[in-house]
Amino acid sequence: MAYISQYQYYENSGANPEDANWGSYQYVSLKDIVNNFMLMYQGNHSLVNNEERYKILFHAKRAVQELNYDAFKEIKALELTVNDAVRFILPSDYVNWVRISLFENGVLYPMTENIRLTSATAYLQDNNLNILFDEAGSVLKPEFSPIDIARIKGTKKSIYLNENSAYNGSEGYCCDGNWFFDFSIGARFGLNTETANANPTFRIDAKAGVINFDSTMSGKSVIVEYVSDGMEGGDNSLITVNKLFEEYVYSYIQYSILDSKLGVQEYVVNRAKKKKAALLRNAKIRISNIHPGRLLMNLRGQNKWIK
Amino acid sequence: MIDAVRNTVLAILNKNNYGYLSPSDFNLYAQQAQLEIFEDYFYQYNTQLNLENARRSGTDYADISKGILEVIDLFSKTATLAQTAAADNTYTMPSDYYLINKVIYKGLEVERVNQSKITMLLNSMITAPSIDFPAYTTEGSIMTVYPATITGAADISSQYVRYPLTPKWTYNIALEAQGPVFNQSSSDYQDFELPLDNLNDLVNKICQYAGVEIREAAVVQFAQGQETQNNTQQ
Repeated sequence: MAYISQYQYYENSGANPEDANWGSYQYVSLKDIVNNFMLMYQGNHSLVNNEERYKILFHAKRAVQELNYDAFKEIKALELTVNDAVRFILPSDYVNWVRISLFENGVLYPMTENIRLTSATAYLQDNNLNILFDEAGSVLKPEFSPIDIARIKGTKKSIYLNENSAYNGSEGYCCDGNWFFDFSIGARFGLNTETANANPTFRIDAKAGVINFDSTMSGKSVIVEYVSDGMEGGDNSLITVNKLFEEYVYSYIQYSILDSKLGVQEYVVNRAKKKKAALLRNAKIRISNIHPGRLLMNLRGQNKWIK
Repeated sequence: MIDAVRNTVLAILNKNNYGYLSPSDFNLYAQQAQLEIFEDYFYQYNTQLNLENARRSGTDYADISKGILEVIDLFSKTATLAQTAAADNTYTMPSDYYLINKVIYKGLEVERVNQSKITMLLNSMITAPSIDFPAYTTEGSIMTVYPATITGAADISSQYVRYPLTPKWTYNIALEAQGPVFNQSSSDYQDFELPLDNLNDLVNKICQYAGVEIREAAVVQFAQGQETQNNTQQ
């Protein structure tokens, strides 16, 4: 891609949207990466030759995906209101979550993951507990399973936390923001520390593509911070890589091809592998922005009095 | 060059005054010889590249592959491909092509994909042909371009190596002359398209064919000997 003028950069040459090119200089496009690789690393006198472009494209995209999972610091965030089924549908480009927060009264409350099961699929059964089927032989399912109904209605027990209350640490039912408790009869068991948090909890049902919350979250605003794979919904023209990782992507492609090619000497493959690993390490250090000035500011905090 | 080649061939054949090659036979052999030498350039180029990879080739004036490329590029041609039907993603390949070097769509190179791979490629999530990375397959003289949204009438052009034009030694019959007289201004005249340094190769090749025609083993042996010597020098 050719360099753009300042006018194109700041005002997109008068076209909409005006901010189309802002910050674009940090990135190199997928098209450029594939083109540069074919030109510079592939050919009659190179280690890689006689390879189809679609293979280069495949490995380039795989490199971008891998970088998006852990190396890039490009976390996406989506804010939505939780629906009546107390569910949050995962973003269309969601791959993994980073943090999920409740946004209430202008404050972000980080939420913890509830490792206990909060949602399940159910089958309809008759009085004799036989599973019911439709005409096509498919099993009949209710809209919500009993455990889902309990979660949505708040009839599922959970730990109540309030140091000023006599019921602190007791198991109770939270229904529409009000807590209800059983009579205290019998043994008392310890606190479940994983969910011992005043903030609501969630559990991600990855296969169903939803985040399930407890009943207190209905109608609340939730912000999901997540990572994607950088494929931009399949639009190749939008896929970009930070320039700090450009050389790494070339070495990733080169290594992937040499590694899977017949007759390439092992030392050549190992050399490519080491180069790839070293470039990733370098790029990660670069993008972490560890500057003396920033370290100095952090270290100044060591003299601060802790009250 | 064609007249020089013919005169040399006739001189060799006519050593004992019993060899003569008619213009029509000469034209047939000339076409055959030119095609053979033309095709050999591609094999020579491959050999040179292998030598370069083995560090057995020099640069500057010793850069043989550069010279071979220049000869091949004499036959390079770029043309817009005709669409087979309106709003269709199929195009007709050039009738005179020997080798398609690249296919271009709006400044982007369209990649050739084998028929055995195209179905899987189209079903691939991340490598399916797209506007940014288009692909094509060929079937007979028809080229199918992917993605199928590429349907512009003048969207696809190709840079290819064409076959050399058929050489033709044209002549007039003059009463005072004892045979046909070379006529360069004839409308169907066509000289060899190979460079001048292929004159010897052309003479040798044509002599081989002509020697078989007049059943003169010595001519065939001489021509083959010359060719072997040339190849050894290269």
